[in-house]
Amino acid sequence: MSRLPLTVGIIANPASGRDVRRLTANAGLFSSTDKVSVIQRLLAAFGATGIERVLMPTDMTGIAAAVQKNSHSRQARDSHWPVVEFLDLTLRQSVEDTRKAARWMAERGVALIAVLGGDGTHKAVAAEVGDIPLLTLSTGTNNAFPELREATSAGLAGGLFANGRIPAEIALRRNKRLLVREPARGLHEIALVDVAVSSLPFIGARAISRAADLAEVFVTFAEPQSIGLSALCGLWLPVTRQEPYGAWMRLDPNAAQALLVPLAPGLLQGCGVRDAGYLQPGVPRPLSLASGTLALDGEREIEFNLHDRPTVTLDGGGPLSIDVQAALAFTAQERLLAIGREHPQHPVNLQHQDTPGE
Amino acid sequence: MSTPLTSDQLLHAYQVMRTIRAFEERLHVEFATGEIPGFVHLYAGEEASAAGVMAHLGDDDCIASNHRGHGHCIAKGVDVYGMMAEIYGKKTGVCQGKGGSMHIADFEKGMLGANGIVGAGAPLVVGAALAAKLKGTDSVAVVFFGDGGSNEGAVFEAMNMASVWNLPCLFIAENNGYAEATASNWSVACDHIADRAAGFGMPGVTVDGFDFFAVHEAAGAAVERARAGEGPSLIEVKLTRYYGHFEGDAQTYRAPDEVKHFREHNDCLMQFRERSTRAGLVQASQLDQIDHEVELLIENAVRKAKSDPKPSPADLLTDVYVSYP
Repeated sequence: MSRLPLTVGIIANPASGRDVRRLTANAGLFSSTDKVSVIQRLLAAFGATGIERVLMPTDMTGIAAAVQKNSHSRQARDSHWPVVEFLDLTLRQSVEDTRKAARWMAERGVALIAVLGGDGTHKAVAAEVGDIPLLTLSTGTNNAFPELREATSAGLAGGLFANGRIPAEIALRRNKRLLVREPARGLHEIALVDVAVSSLPFIGARAISRAADLAEVFVTFAEPQSIGLSALCGLWLPVTRQEPYGAWMRLDPNAAQALLVPLAPGLLQGCGVRDAGYLQPGVPRPLSLASGTLALDGEREIEFNLHDRPTVTLDGGGPLSIDVQAALAFTAQERLLAIGREHPQHPVNLQHQDTPGE
Repeated sequence: MSTPLTSDQLLHAYQVMRTIRAFEERLHVEFATGEIPGFVHLYAGEEASAAGVMAHLGDDDCIASNHRGHGHCIAKGVDVYGMMAEIYGKKTGVCQGKGGSMHIADFEKGMLGANGIVGAGAPLVVGAALAAKLKGTDSVAVVFFGDGGSNEGAVFEAMNMASVWNLPCLFIAENNGYAEATASNWSVACDHIADRAAGFGMPGVTVDGFDFFAVHEAAGAAVERARAGEGPSLIEVKLTRYYGHFEGDAQTYRAPDEVKHFREHNDCLMQFRERSTRAGLVQASQLDQIDHEVELLIENAVRKAKSDPKPSPADLLTDVYVSYP
């Protein structure tokens, strides 16, 4: 029986990094060209760590097209990129494309999925893939779940884990999540970082850029250096990714205490803090508003009104992700990237390639 | 930017979108009879874009449109009967029947004109924005172009100049996926039109053009910036057209179920009705009333336009120049 090729998936959200926060704050742009570069850095790292096949969805913005074109380049050949196989989806140019690609990869039994996007993209993938680990890369606007990492080193960590060189207990981290439920409406959504309650009645342009539009925030974790809605708790009542509980905060412009918070890149807003506390796992929390919108991982997604009673519950059932720092520390400790003379990239094998006129 | 919309504003937005839809669907039927001269390019499916942007503009703000201009005219407040008569080539039309569908203009309403030349509206609004800046008013100027127009040199030059002069200008790229029969994902090299803004030193954003609220919010932020003297912005509105590039286009370049899918899942009117009533801000009966009024409005406009007189040969040289010897 022939062995199946060692396969990982890559999902890049073509839409991330260009929402209204370029107008309301000083958020930067993450162009399709930049995303292609990130994918190619991943492919080089996957190639170097023995990954044989990469699955990618197609898209309408030229990302897959550029990767396919470049997969025949000298660079691809020299760095031993894995074979890239594209899924030809019927594209709807919505989050459904991401979900479909994630389900397809899960069915194909990939060892891990590298995700390029913001908190929202990671959430969409996580909801579909069960315990397939995510290699998280930030290409969105306010990201807390994916860390800002160089794709080459993240790719090495992911590739070495997928190849069985780093044990799961070192490379993997289990994440918390927030469940948003309203049984009467059949609503069952997850968030990986934060759920914000806003009095804005409509989803609109999705992002929330004003403190006045926020009534309440729930977070799975909140680091002091984070940006976005989770920074509210991060700068008041920080919670690490590892601690079993989360945090919540209620906001009120007339509260006695106020906090200056980076709600978006370059956007610092004073927020009235009425109350805050830790969020215990497994305890459903009602919302402080009777109608408005719920922002999941930074984007307004759910409109609710007087007839709905959504609740927010923290639990430890979120996705597995690669702990890049821990994985690379192990890599160094065990010298996993040490190579012998037989390796094509050993210095002795590279010397003859420098011959001029070749 | 996120000042909540009042019930009156919501009803107005619905009325604008419903009027555009009914106007275009009626033209689709009437054009097939052969009674309408020239070409028509229908805006049905894209209503939320015109309504969402124009909700922030007054008569002193100028817009320039393109060949698919009926929606922009209606949302800017151009008289619906005058437009219908214009499209029928009648003397009672807003341009005395000499412009037709692709040249409807109404300066009183700040509508600088639909335009048969792809991308040609952009330099016009740069001029209008420069005028506003020199006069010291807080007016803004807005151009609507498509994914095809986004590839035109005139649009690049206009964006550059608007940015260099820091003009109160909005560039609205209505990306409906096709420049005539050419897919934008093939013909737009950087794929996201919004990304091009970075090359001109202005912010660029992409919004869901099926969602009036998304367009309204992004356009509000861009208009606010422009009025405050902070310069131009680019908004890429992603949407679809329900009909062909022009009436009579067989659309062999589209997937068979494409329009059906968008009509069923992404209809801006359906979404708007569902969400505004669910939020309790307007009543379904108020929207039904608007549907009814719009139906009568269009019916009357078509009936009158059909029986109106055409311009006579003696009218040939009038309205050509501001003054004619």
